[in-house]
Amino acid sequence: MSDKHKEDEHGHRPPAPMVDEVSDFEVLEMAVRELAIEKGLFSAEDHRRWTEYVHSLGPLPAARLVAKAWLDPAYKKLAVADGVKASLEVGVDWINSPPTGFGTPSDYCNLRVLEDTPKVKHVVVCTLCSCYPRPILGNSPEWYRTPNYRRRLVRWPRQVLAEFGLQLPPDVEIRVADSNQKTRYIVLPTRPAGTEGWTEDQLAEIVTRDCLIGVAVPKPGIKANAKRTVHPAVHPVHHDH
Amino acid sequence: MTTSDENHHGAGMPRQEPEPSPISLLEAIRRHGRVWGDLAAQYGVTNPDPPWKVNLEATCDALSAEACALPLLERRAAEDDLSETIYSDVPQPERQLLTLAHTMIQRGLVDEDELGRRMKEVYSRLTSA
Repeated sequence: MSDKHKEDEHGHRPPAPMVDEVSDFEVLEMAVRELAIEKGLFSAEDHRRWTEYVHSLGPLPAARLVAKAWLDPAYKKLAVADGVKASLEVGVDWINSPPTGFGTPSDYCNLRVLEDTPKVKHVVVCTLCSCYPRPILGNSPEWYRTPNYRRRLVRWPRQVLAEFGLQLPPDVEIRVADSNQKTRYIVLPTRPAGTEGWTEDQLAEIVTRDCLIGVAVPKPGIKANAKRTVHPAVHPVHHDH
Repeated sequence: MTTSDENHHGAGMPRQEPEPSPISLLEAIRRHGRVWGDLAAQYGVTNPDPPWKVNLEATCDALSAEACALPLLERRAAEDDLSETIYSDVPQPERQLLTLAHTMIQRGLVDEDELGRRMKEVYSRLTSA
């Protein structure tokens, strides 16, 4: 942290820097939202509820689910058998949670937890659009939504994982789980060596979003996702509308 | 644009997809709008996402879930097409916003002129304080 963010002699922190400029994009976002409300496409109250919901999302509950499963064999069994029930213990209620109270159209209430073994590696995709287990894993990363990832992973999973830096031995089977509106997936990776005696909090810190999608594996000391450059497809394939 | 596996789409006939047409209001924003990455770097802000991103996500959700005006699957399909063509050089989340506005205009959910007028009103409001 630079000196300008340090407390002064009275213990006050200077305000964090802010963007002092109105951008066209900020204005466009507000204009689209206001017109949609005026035209009755949704109400201001609907938007407020969805905003609260989006604010509440993040990858921590899924990381905690994995950490708990590593520490508690009974919980791991439950997670693999009934991901929705196991989610309750990490604070995610897929069925009764807001905003709709019965599973939203884009976050349908059927979570499957895919357990890796030393010989089987799972990885998650949505070939159709970008279905993602948002209630437990937050918003999807940009690369997950690209046609490039979605189309290529199902055809060449080993090569695509290698591009993410995950080189798997030939004797490890790769299983690609294709999400859909009803079923969402997270990966339960194998617990890495060097984490013996760790607490749940310590373990959760190394279960990154990318590990939960399956394009990375947990490693002691790695607590953040690697930066990914997004490349457009060389031969894009368009949708049939 | 011609696809690489076009011959698998039926009767041996190449499938031609029409290029989406630019919309002048949005094209001007694409060309001249300042994206969050540049603004954040200039002002020393470390937040990776602009404050309006959460509102954008909520708008997309509400458009799909409330009156089903723009179902998620259709919005994402349009976003795929537009992201690989006329907005390919725009970073996220600005690209998601442009593709949403583009799709809403294309479908007649909002009109380009009224969106332009509303943008002027919003800009005046935000800069009048």
